[in-house]
Amino acid sequence: MNSTQSSGPAVRIENLDKYYGSFHALRKINLSVKRGERIVVCGPSGSGKSTMIRCINRLEQHNGGRITVLGTELNDDVGNIDEIRREVGMVFQHFNLFPHMTVLENCMIAPMIVRKRPRAEAETTARRYLEKVRIPEQAMKFPGQLSGGQQQRVAIARALCMQPQIMLFDEPTSALDPEMIAEVLDVMVRLASEGMTMICVTHEMGFARRVADRVIFMDAGEIVEEAPPEEFFTSCRNERTRQFLSQVLGH
Amino acid sequence: MEMVVVAPPAPGRVEDLKRRFFATPLQALLSLISLAIMVFVVWKLLNWAVFSAVFTTTGGPEACQAAAGACWSVIAARWRIILFGLYPFEEQWRSALACVAVVVMTVLSCIPAFWTGRRIALVWGTGAALYYVLMKGGVLGLPFVGEEAWGGLALTLFIFVTTCLIGFPLAICLALLRRSDLPWISRTTGLIIDGVRSLPLISILFTFAVVLPFALPQWLQGDKLYRVILGSALFFSAYQAEIVRGGMQGVPAGQEEAAMALGMSYWQRIGRILLPQAMRNALPATINQFVISFKETSLVVIVGFFEILASGNAAYGTGEWRFAYVEVYAFIALIYFVFVFSLSRYGAFLERRMSVGER
Repeated sequence: MNSTQSSGPAVRIENLDKYYGSFHALRKINLSVKRGERIVVCGPSGSGKSTMIRCINRLEQHNGGRITVLGTELNDDVGNIDEIRREVGMVFQHFNLFPHMTVLENCMIAPMIVRKRPRAEAETTARRYLEKVRIPEQAMKFPGQLSGGQQQRVAIARALCMQPQIMLFDEPTSALDPEMIAEVLDVMVRLASEGMTMICVTHEMGFARRVADRVIFMDAGEIVEEAPPEEFFTSCRNERTRQFLSQVLGH
Repeated sequence: MEMVVVAPPAPGRVEDLKRRFFATPLQALLSLISLAIMVFVVWKLLNWAVFSAVFTTTGGPEACQAAAGACWSVIAARWRIILFGLYPFEEQWRSALACVAVVVMTVLSCIPAFWTGRRIALVWGTGAALYYVLMKGGVLGLPFVGEEAWGGLALTLFIFVTTCLIGFPLAICLALLRRSDLPWISRTTGLIIDGVRSLPLISILFTFAVVLPFALPQWLQGDKLYRVILGSALFFSAYQAEIVRGGMQGVPAGQEEAAMALGMSYWQRIGRILLPQAMRNALPATINQFVISFKETSLVVIVGFFEILASGNAAYGTGEWRFAYVEVYAFIALIYFVFVFSLSRYGAFLERRMSVGER
């Protein structure tokens, strides 16, 4: 199974359609992400970028087209959904840490109850990743006692503890105070340098320039432009992209 | 040094009293009148309850009636009826032990160290078995005592604890069903909850005790006591389900999404993420519901059970002690107070404990 998986793309999206009632949120999206590739998705609010990555681990159900993750198709088969969710980590805009558990427990619970790892092993893994996001000393605190930047780094560690093959980031720095954005981006840059497959919805264009293999611009539920960062930032063809970039980079 | 240590607090308190109660001549007058009334009432009460009261049974009811104060002799003479109801006199030690078993079981399961599936099951299993064997007998050389003879405090505790024990899990099930994605499930559950809530408890108890036997085959009926407990648990669960649902609505949607993204199954999400947070939100209302249910156990008297309040009626209602009903009710009120007050304090402890992570 793993051998066939490792050959194909990490994520393949074909003709994806998504409606909220009569609102057409995603229109015929096509996207293929290779293993180890880093994708940055940007676009104005309401353009469908969050909806698209939330479809990849079935937090949103798509209405048309095909999504294949690591060789497994996302459909109504609950077994498939569970299998994909185990291998796809996600980091949210508002962190969504579990407030009734300590930082360490936040990182241990999924490996223990989903992957059935023994407690000692889960704890070792959790401490290793907390070390990696540079907050090992906060392990016994509760999320409410940490700053936003620290919480988001715990959220990254929590997702990594499942040892996923793909990481999804849904505007991970949008809810943070400016002085905390750097500490979160640092962790993401290091993760990228280690070869993790990453799909990031973000407005951090500096981050996109530094780590992305490809930048995708979405507007009104469509992928409007798709290019490597240098090309994207210097010579984009589309008018909407140019307008968006001038707004984001303008000041 | 002295000034720093002694001076500030003492004048502060006196100043404060002056400012609050004696700021103007009129205010001072009102304060003094209120004080006089309070002293008078407290004195009268103490005089009645302690100084002029009769505590022993030696003089019998007659000595009591002659005295100016309270007649506590009625408690000394009749406490067994109040606590144990119609339970056979020779066997009442069993009823007392059963009460102890229920209280110990409840206290144990309130201690966080016992909050694992196996331990709580062990505590409840042992407690329930002990209670049942002690009360009913028929084994181990204990004479048989049917449910119709159970009464007093032992019965009140039994009805309350079993109502909560059955009603609470049922409430969680109802709350989960009510938030189901399938409209026919959530609507039907909503209809059941609202239906039960719009009926008076008395009519539900009456239906389960008296009407249900006509509708059910013999083997399904069970004893009247258990049908009544089932009815009261159903009533409890309808209210508690809405409390739990309210608690669930306070948990942000992102919590469940995060759990889903980590690959947790439905039951893992419910058990590990949603319910612990929902129950924390719902705690104050839940304690309220427990308190109400404890006091509502007294309604079973209408279907013929002698719980503690009815046993109290029997204790003074037999002729010679007929005049001493105030004392009997004061005694019963004290028992209710001890249980309900401990329940409230335990709720406060839980709230403090659970707010550790919350900022």
